[in-house]
Amino acid sequence: MELELRNISVTLSNKKILKFINLKVEDGEFISLLGASGCGKSTLLKTIAGLIDQDEGSVVLGGNIIDKTPAHKRRTVIVFQDLRLFPHMTVAENISFPLKMLGIDKNGRRKEAINLLGKVKLKGYEDMHVDKMSGGQIQRVALARALAAKPMVLLLDESFSSLDINLRKDMQELVLELQREYKITTILVTHDQEEALTMSNRIAFMHNGQIEQYDTPENIFKKPINTIVADYFSKGTYVHGKIINNKFISRLFSSNVDRETGKYKCLIRPSAIKINKFKNGEYIVAEKIYQGDSYLLKLNNTDSNLKLESVVPDFTAIIEGDRVNIELDKDKLIFIPEKQACS
Amino acid sequence: MNKKTPYILIMPIVLLGVIFMFGVINGIVQGFGYIPAFNLNDVTLSYYKEILADPTFLDSLKVSSQISIISSVLAMVLGIILTTALVYTGHTEGRILQVIKLAIIIPHTIVALFTISILSQNGLIARVCYKLGLISAQGDFPLLLYTKNNLGIILSYVWKEVPFVAYFSLALMSGINKTLGEASENLGASKLKTFFYIVLPLSMPSIRKAFLIILTFSFGAYDLPFLLGATVPKALSVQAHIEYVHPDLRHRPYAMAMNGLILAITWAMAGIYYLITKRNKITGDIHEEF
Amino acid sequence: MKNFKSNRLLNIFLYISLLIISVPIVILLLWTFTARWPWPNLLPKTYSFRAIKEVFAPHAKLFQTLFSSMLLSLAVAILSVIIGTMTARALTLYDFVGKELIALLSIAPNLVPGTVFAMGIHIVFIHMALADTVLGVITVHLIYTLPYSVSIMRDLTQSIGGRLEMQAYVLGASPFKSFIYITLPLLVPGIKTSIGMAYIISSGQYFITLLIGGGKVKTFSVLMVPFIAKGDRALGSAYALIFMMSTLLILIITDRVTKKLPYQNDGGKYRWNWN
Repeated sequence: MELELRNISVTLSNKKILKFINLKVEDGEFISLLGASGCGKSTLLKTIAGLIDQDEGSVVLGGNIIDKTPAHKRRTVIVFQDLRLFPHMTVAENISFPLKMLGIDKNGRRKEAINLLGKVKLKGYEDMHVDKMSGGQIQRVALARALAAKPMVLLLDESFSSLDINLRKDMQELVLELQREYKITTILVTHDQEEALTMSNRIAFMHNGQIEQYDTPENIFKKPINTIVADYFSKGTYVHGKIINNKFISRLFSSNVDRETGKYKCLIRPSAIKINKFKNGEYIVAEKIYQGDSYLLKLNNTDSNLKLESVVPDFTAIIEGDRVNIELDKDKLIFIPEKQACS
Repeated sequence: MNKKTPYILIMPIVLLGVIFMFGVINGIVQGFGYIPAFNLNDVTLSYYKEILADPTFLDSLKVSSQISIISSVLAMVLGIILTTALVYTGHTEGRILQVIKLAIIIPHTIVALFTISILSQNGLIARVCYKLGLISAQGDFPLLLYTKNNLGIILSYVWKEVPFVAYFSLALMSGINKTLGEASENLGASKLKTFFYIVLPLSMPSIRKAFLIILTFSFGAYDLPFLLGATVPKALSVQAHIEYVHPDLRHRPYAMAMNGLILAITWAMAGIYYLITKRNKITGDIHEEF
Repeated sequence: MKNFKSNRLLNIFLYISLLIISVPIVILLLWTFTARWPWPNLLPKTYSFRAIKEVFAPHAKLFQTLFSSMLLSLAVAILSVIIGTMTARALTLYDFVGKELIALLSIAPNLVPGTVFAMGIHIVFIHMALADTVLGVITVHLIYTLPYSVSIMRDLTQSIGGRLEMQAYVLGASPFKSFIYITLPLLVPGIKTSIGMAYIISSGQYFITLLIGGGKVKTFSVLMVPFIAKGDRALGSAYALIFMMSTLLILIITDRVTKKLPYQNDGGKYRWNWN
């Protein structure tokens, strides 16, 4: 079912948390709400689910305005960060709770619960008590329970942030698998940019209660609309300049680029810089930091204060103190119009 | 969320609250002489003035104050020791705690009976003293009941209140001991130092609250002084009741004025407590709610 | 490292305390079955069932009074829990006009001695035809049990919070069903304690029952006191023993009933701490 938010504004405790949110999620689409803590992501989820009333605007589900529909009738199911399994029920009872609310009989409920447990790879755990399970297992039970509610929209509120990295990847795979199988419109709230990039069809980047950019992961990464979005994905060095007649001119370098004329900031990410060792190179390697598959090199310009960072493969021969020259990969440069620096 | 729900939820307590306020206000108003039912229609301070000058009243005031202060301080100190004993011997649950809870279940009226059986001149302690040769006759055993020193009443309150203080403060002290006490010992403090520098001070919010409860309660309570008190002077609440049921209805305002003073003093105690604790408020996880 | 010496002292203190609590109860038991216990014997000289027989004599109508007394206090306890839960819910989960006032009101009776309140409300009740009635007695008892009930339920409601109910909503449960299936089972420990506490307070009341109930509404407590004040110790002890046993009976029944309820919470995460 497609979900649309029209001009949603929410105030909590006299603070305006969400400001004129407009968003459209297609049926069966998986999007992420990405942003730092406090930007309003969880509030938006709760507003969609009907747990918080908006001051203005409407929530539209499948073409119908559902503002007046009470939370328990909306079929917009949230999996909370703290998972909230009911401590006084077994795993099967937890999962079949929404089925009970839908009026399904005891046998049918148990059957479906066991079925869902199989889908989340927890076969055999039906009668276990919740307090005896590990974090990863609890996650999967919470997911199964959400699916049991037959949601029109699945809302995941930072559901994986408490897991260690291996478990997290497993859960991410599982969620995507099930989402595709059941074709549920899904919104994932996360502050982890990598998670958003790998899982989503589209990313809605939020900052201070507004959506800064809503686009595919590739576009958001390569063509951020402003520095806030750009910096969230990776840090780099900004070089100010102008684009005139499709050519970017700055003190440091110039480059051909197909953009409109105007003032721009060019963001040079570490991945855009190639290093060549050179006896009298313009840069000196100040620090070399191991990163697993690669090294991060911190470069200081010998003539000016300019500092750059570059990522090199782990078999590199370059060491600290070497002099190097840099080469910019034009395709990886990011140009941000000067006007839209900050919101 | 339904906006009207809280108002529906509080309806019963509002109703009872209104009745409660009515009773309190009515009592206070009657103390000022305004009892239309008895044709007393003037508001005056004269009743208050009279009792404040009346030696009977002042004696009763002394009695009630002595009883409540002495018993409460004693109960607090012994209660702290009992709580400490429970926490440090690891008996925060189980059968020993059940026995302590038993003391809390028994009403003051039955405690009076206990006291009579044990502390009267004919009671158990007296008999034990006789068998030990400490006294040679019943009359040699000190009068603890029905006398001016009110020791019987004081000890009765202590019997009830020490378990109460212990039970009330147990959860907090146990929690502090486990977390901060452990940290303190880890940093090099002995168990004794940890207790006096960390555990006890941080347990005080509960202990103080319990102290206030038993202080105000024992000041205005009726049952024990009624059953174990001297003929004169009587405790305030007993004296007030006597005036209340006096066949001469003109005594009524005196009764209510006494009640008004009991109330005023009780509130003064609470007020002093509030001022003292406000200065010593510990911020952080220990959240003191009045 | 444990400080053994101080631990031993604390242990001694603990056991002395237990002794001080238990001995009077034992003495009570002895007196109940005493025929003669003259000075200076440490144990009764002769035993008998006289006191018991007198207590249960037909003319005393004991069972009637005891039974109706227990019912009255049980009614107070149940009402106290219901009202306490409702009030605690409002105070914990909602914001509303007059919230501080209600919070204050919930603990106000702790600051007004029962005698003062009873003497103040007595005339009012007489006008309202509530004096000398069961309803009147239940009302004044309720006023003095509610501070405890509200406090107990507030702590528990706060620790459970609205989180689980919120989850139940989005899973399709109406507010009512969420309360019944999710919140209520988790409140059971608090409910149990509340009922116990309220029953004990109500059944132990003497003065306010005497005043508000007049001669008409007699609880067992009111019946018992004259025997403690005067009269023979054996009889008084017998009454006291029956009182204590009836209280214990109610507490045990409450405990058993709540244990039988479906959905026992695990006690760990949501353990309520009365403080």
